[in-house]
Amino acid sequence: MSSSLKLLGEIRQSSERRPFEVLKLAEPLLNKGSITQAGDEVWLVYEQVFLAAVDEGQIDVAKAVLEILHKRFGEESQRVKRLYGLVSEATGHPEDAKKLYDDMLEKDATNVLANKRLIALLKSQGQYVQAIQELVSYLDTHGNDFEAWLELTHLYLDQHLYPQAAFCIEEVILQQPANHYFHLCYAEISYTTGNLDVALKEYLRVVELSTDNVRGFYGVKLTADRILDITSSRGSGKSKAPSHLKVENAPQKAMLERLSQLATERLLAIYSGSSDAMKKTLEEWLKL
Amino acid sequence: MTEYTVSVQAYAKAVLHCAKHPWATVHGLLLAEKKEGKIRFVDAVPLAHNWTNLTAMFDVALQQAQQYAKTKGLSVCGYYVAYEDTKATQLSASGALLAKTLVEADESTVAFVVDAKKLTPGSSAAAFVPYVYAEPQWKEQSSAFGESGKGSGTKGASFVLENNRVVAVTRKLVDERAEVWVHDFDEHLDDVSLDWLQNQALSERIRTT
Repeated sequence: MSSSLKLLGEIRQSSERRPFEVLKLAEPLLNKGSITQAGDEVWLVYEQVFLAAVDEGQIDVAKAVLEILHKRFGEESQRVKRLYGLVSEATGHPEDAKKLYDDMLEKDATNVLANKRLIALLKSQGQYVQAIQELVSYLDTHGNDFEAWLELTHLYLDQHLYPQAAFCIEEVILQQPANHYFHLCYAEISYTTGNLDVALKEYLRVVELSTDNVRGFYGVKLTADRILDITSSRGSGKSKAPSHLKVENAPQKAMLERLSQLATERLLAIYSGSSDAMKKTLEEWLKL
Repeated sequence: MTEYTVSVQAYAKAVLHCAKHPWATVHGLLLAEKKEGKIRFVDAVPLAHNWTNLTAMFDVALQQAQQYAKTKGLSVCGYYVAYEDTKATQLSASGALLAKTLVEADESTVAFVVDAKKLTPGSSAAAFVPYVYAEPQWKEQSSAFGESGKGSGTKGASFVLENNRVVAVTRKLVDERAEVWVHDFDEHLDDVSLDWLQNQALSERIRTT
């Protein structure tokens, strides 16, 4: 298999959104017909190229690829059908897209692809409340779709509904407890809402689950130091820290100091391979 | 009347940051030189394209950017944001709070929301919508950047691009996909060798365009 096809496969695996690169890799394959080297995966590649093409506004390419997919899978394929909706969305005809998705859902209310596309459409139209309602309703019947819970987390964050977002990311973590990325999201939401004890705990989980996680160690240092400041100033009765900051369940002072020290050491170690300018920036920051 | 000038380096870096993450909300800081009551934004420091409503890494990045600015004799007195919703030109609640953190450290801070409509190929207008702090709110300066009208806001601020090539140069860089040279703090957190404060290769590219 050619290296281009391999790279396209890797991009599909990682679910990264890199439409420009995908099109660049795919163009020669399509022109020379060597895309067929992908064997059975060729249909996945075509779908990937279609999605990249609508992302880049290359509607002619998208339509050409869609025709190939239609020829192969026909009228009955829901997976191909929803791609027509995407063309409508990309060419500024959201009403046509909505009609298609509504029709698909009427024929089959459990159609996941149409449901999700409808929610995305509502979001792109700025109808956030409705998008949230639809997604909540979807999750009533698909409660173990953690990616949907993650999308709901983002929708709530966009609307500054932090407690609701926290609830959703907790659901994601229940289903995917070993993925550090979700703990990181939870840590950052907790920090933002002033739940510093929870934030610290979650940042620690991040560095436990993932090696040399820079965000994680910055988070540990940031929260440990802040908690130390707050508890000491509250103890002396001279605290200027806002009262909503929660530190009750945080570790004791000695442990906090050790955690801060640990984070400092790990950050310095990670940055030792970096440029002088970046190393200096870290060192100055650590002195704060 | 405070005069704010935006240099091509600041403008182009901010717009290229948007170009790199067109489907996400992106935000960053602007660094300025202050001379004789005039404020000139000379550079942009891109911060994030993910979780822009969350404050933890923003706090770290801001502290590091303020330190860096000090070493260069510059001030962090600008905040820019471009929303995922391309129709949004209003500073959001979290944007207002983040910008407020800046204004508490430097009262000449202004915020800019990028107007996506003005980033289209045919447009020659500046795509920044300025917001000036008039406690407790941020007020939009609707007539700014040399459009007709007095450009006066509640605090009497005027905004101008440094010359009439800024938009054209930026467009050229966008067409050349120069956004690959932008590295924000989010990217730095994944790869600490990336210099998100200076983005020197990009600065050089802008200088020679």
